[in-house]
Amino acid sequence: MNRVAIVGVGCSRLGSTSRDVSYREMIFEAAVKCYEDAGGIHPQDIDAFVASSEDFMEGISIADEYVPDQLGAVLKPVQSITGDSLQGLASAMMHIQTGQMDLVVASSFSKASNVQHYENVVSYACDPVTVRPLGENPYFIAGLEMQRYLYETGTSEAHCAQVVAENKYNALFNPLAVYGAKTDIEQVLASPQLFSPLKYQDIAHHADGAVVVLLASERKARELAKKPVWIKGIGWATDTPNLDSRQDGWGDAVYARLAARQAYKMAGITSPRHEICFAEIDDTFSYKQLQHLEALNICARGEAGKLLCQGEFSRQGGFPVNMSGGSLGVGYLHEANGLYKLAEVVWQLRGEAGRRQLDGVKTGLAFAWRGIPTATGVAVILSNLE
Amino acid sequence: MAFLERSTKNTENRYWYPEENTFPVSNRYTTGVAGQRFFGELKDNARITGTRCHSCQVTFVPARMFCERCFARLDDWLDVGSEGTVFSYTVAYVNRDGSAKPEPAIIAAVRVADGILVHRLLGCNAGEVTIGMKVQAVFRPEAERTGSILDISHFRPV
Repeated sequence: MNRVAIVGVGCSRLGSTSRDVSYREMIFEAAVKCYEDAGGIHPQDIDAFVASSEDFMEGISIADEYVPDQLGAVLKPVQSITGDSLQGLASAMMHIQTGQMDLVVASSFSKASNVQHYENVVSYACDPVTVRPLGENPYFIAGLEMQRYLYETGTSEAHCAQVVAENKYNALFNPLAVYGAKTDIEQVLASPQLFSPLKYQDIAHHADGAVVVLLASERKARELAKKPVWIKGIGWATDTPNLDSRQDGWGDAVYARLAARQAYKMAGITSPRHEICFAEIDDTFSYKQLQHLEALNICARGEAGKLLCQGEFSRQGGFPVNMSGGSLGVGYLHEANGLYKLAEVVWQLRGEAGRRQLDGVKTGLAFAWRGIPTATGVAVILSNLE
Repeated sequence: MAFLERSTKNTENRYWYPEENTFPVSNRYTTGVAGQRFFGELKDNARITGTRCHSCQVTFVPARMFCERCFARLDDWLDVGSEGTVFSYTVAYVNRDGSAKPEPAIIAAVRVADGILVHRLLGCNAGEVTIGMKVQAVFRPEAERTGSILDISHFRPV
């Protein structure tokens, strides 16, 4: 297999709003940072570009046609992936593995603050004959999932609240994070009920921002990067979109289980808890982080909440999770969620994570979920080892 | 690669295009061969139907034409009855637009045969609902049925 490395990462400033720049200027900012991070690459030297986005979010349709200029990709091969940006990363990686290309960009962004009726967009993503006619806010699906997950595993609402408290605390040490806070289980449990047992603070709040990443072939990586970070494994899977036939997928993140299995196999990992040093894992909803940890085989089913409360996933624990603050602390970046998590893993593996830096980390995991109402997940294993 | 200016005052941000940026999305959605029959049975006979995959030992509800697991054609139609069990439930406190509901609503994932129907649960309060509880579909009167999942008005405890 042709090896692929991350040689450049750029992230724009993040914010709960971003009145000063358009979404395309925001991507431009992240792109410039990425190209400079890679040692001062000019986009003319890049072979192809992969952007991840969904129509309706940009306020325009055929959004993929609006990709090239802010990346320096005009008159270049450009492709869009409608999915999480780690699905875009997989595509960019495969571009290089054809042997035809040496440098490929993956990009994504969120301008969530421009979306006036996000619930309508999500509602439109729900089944038009069995779910949408109910006329309910589609986040009720997360309420149903959470209830089933707690029931099947014996996890408590307090365990989920601890996820919120830990991630928001971790975010205090991330200068990019929007929603850092010192809070506790009681405050989270006391926040307004929305789709019981799901409460207001169990939900990651949206943020604006862009992330651009430059991937390189082994030859090019050695030429460009002082600290290349290698993609050791990647996997992705989608469960049925039908709520009516998503059997085990209500209480268990089956998509994550399958994505991880593929990524671990490719990376030669048999004992993820011991062979991986840390992880950035989807926490769009508090319970999702616990459900994902179990599905990613970091621990057994029903164990994640207890381990969390024992400190296993904190900075001092055996397997630090979401040192960035996760989506609960950083902000929910829509399709850019995955690439942001990847950027965090890269910074950690380069030793550039500032006050969040973990000692001596060699291998990290980034996992993204595509959000309600989807059942799609992507797992990526990264390492600074040859 | 230069980007040297930024807005520094909110009041300078005068141009938003446009403030009321909406467009009416309207379309038809074809329910398909299985959907025609499934919704026809709901409307005409107040009957919930499923299709059985004999190789996977699964009865899909709502009925469909093919098995999503083994890809087989499904043509064994069954009346699966109007009773099911609560597989999961949630209490919704807000409407689709985020405004508070006058009364919280229970939404249940009801297991009927091997399928899940997501619907409102009435006739009990939230504290009484348990996973595994038996519930029954309540149909609208025939004259009000239109061939929609809302021909089931709601579920209620048996």
